[in-house]
Amino acid sequence: MLCQICKKKEATITFTKIVGGQKTEIHLCKDCASAFSDKFSIFPLPQFNIDDLLAGLLNAIDLYHKEEGVVPGKEIECSNCHLTYNEFKQSGKLGCSVCYHDFREQLTPLLRRLHGNSEHVGKIPRQSKGKLDKIRKIKQLRKELQELVLKEEYEKAAKTRDEILKLEGVLKKKNAK
Amino acid sequence: MQNKDKSIILQNLKDSTAEWTNGQGPLSDIVISSRIRLARNIEGIPFSPRAEQAELKNIFELCRQVVEKDPLFRDSNLLLLDELTPLESQFLVEKHLISIYHAREKRPYRGCVFNQKETLSIMVNEEDHFRIQYLLSGLQLNNIWKLINEIDDEIEKKVTYAFSEKEGYLTSCPTNVGTGMRASIMLHLPALAMVNGINDILKAISKIGYVVRGFYGEGTEVMGNLFQVSNQITLGLSEEEIIDNLEKVNQQIISKEQKVRKELLSNSKSQLEDQAWRAYGILSSARIISSVEAMELLSKVRFGVGLGIISHLNLGILNKLMLLIQPAYLQMLAGKVLDPFNRDMQRAALIRNEISK
Repeated sequence: MLCQICKKKEATITFTKIVGGQKTEIHLCKDCASAFSDKFSIFPLPQFNIDDLLAGLLNAIDLYHKEEGVVPGKEIECSNCHLTYNEFKQSGKLGCSVCYHDFREQLTPLLRRLHGNSEHVGKIPRQSKGKLDKIRKIKQLRKELQELVLKEEYEKAAKTRDEILKLEGVLKKKNAK
Repeated sequence: MQNKDKSIILQNLKDSTAEWTNGQGPLSDIVISSRIRLARNIEGIPFSPRAEQAELKNIFELCRQVVEKDPLFRDSNLLLLDELTPLESQFLVEKHLISIYHAREKRPYRGCVFNQKETLSIMVNEEDHFRIQYLLSGLQLNNIWKLINEIDDEIEKKVTYAFSEKEGYLTSCPTNVGTGMRASIMLHLPALAMVNGINDILKAISKIGYVVRGFYGEGTEVMGNLFQVSNQITLGLSEEEIIDNLEKVNQQIISKEQKVRKELLSNSKSQLEDQAWRAYGILSSARIISSVEAMELLSKVRFGVGLGIISHLNLGILNKLMLLIQPAYLQMLAGKVLDPFNRDMQRAALIRNEISK
């Protein structure tokens, strides 16, 4: 059947209109159907709903765990605000900053799916900056230390080790505060 | 911070025009405004939806302390939403100072800080403790990032943010974690809408991690051919990368709109002139007009101004009108609650008055 608007292309889409119990059908090609639906706003704009997306993802991850044979243990709960993981799954909202720590195992795959990534690389608050810089420095020094040991440069290695110990000491003190 | 009574603050707000509507920023014929918001929470206090009343009060008071003496907030006001009527809250939504969610939520101690130019606003105890937003006219996300970053640093001198080395700034919803940053650009795309080119673009950009929303953000309808495009990914990219990517996507949409505008001008100039002047004719003579019809006609006139067809009006007046004609704003201006019929009359009178100035 040909499209009833342009009368040129093959009709592939049928609109059914029911007014006062009377049914009329109109057969259109893809292009005319798109113009037609825009004009009468038959299709609402694709409204993106982040909550739906999140709920879908959470369920998908659950399913994945099941397939992988991960046995669901007893309900996990945040040690600080006592939000349970199931409650989070329902609302999509975490309760407090400790939730991120206590649910990390479950959240990491979720964050990876939501953002394509699970590690922050953006801005760092000033208060954390010194600490974070030290952690990054320690990581780098450890790498260097390994290389030095392989090269049997023990004197330099000892110096690097002392530097690491010193930085770790500073961090421990800070954490203890 | 200015220490003013709620009624004085609202009175001033009613009479003032937000700077971001002035239509003078880069690419203003297509880009109405750019916006960045940062979601921030205070360490050691549950996120607002799970906080106790006393904790919510603490957050609100903390915000008051932050803005009270800081020179950055010298001309700012702080409103407690509990004290506002639903109409007044809705008015703040229509001013783009708070979200619809913030206006309708029943949680106590929700607040809103905003500066005189209405470029900066902070929602207190929304889904996150602080949601800082900055708005400017036209396409200028980089400038906004500079400004909002300073404000964020300033606030951080007085509070400790909930932050983890791994996940970044921690937020109530995992969709905001990391940078906590949502950048968005409000576009006016009448030419693309005329040739039915919008849906294809929307579909394409939603596949690559961007979200399109209506004039008033999440869950609102598109009206007047205005579209808000924003980033969805907040974790694993730096703030600069998020801005850069969003600008690139928008540049693509903008150049499409420009191309179609050019084509329409060379092929159907008379029809465009007719469309713009007809819309102007109705707006300058109608006695009763709904907000949906007004938005549609304002979009057509704005299109005409952008193309140089109508030269005695500027983009600023049209941007401003798109806000003024909203239901709560109209009633605030009238100083009383109006039924829909009276609103439609009030709206028609207001538009006639503004465009014949």
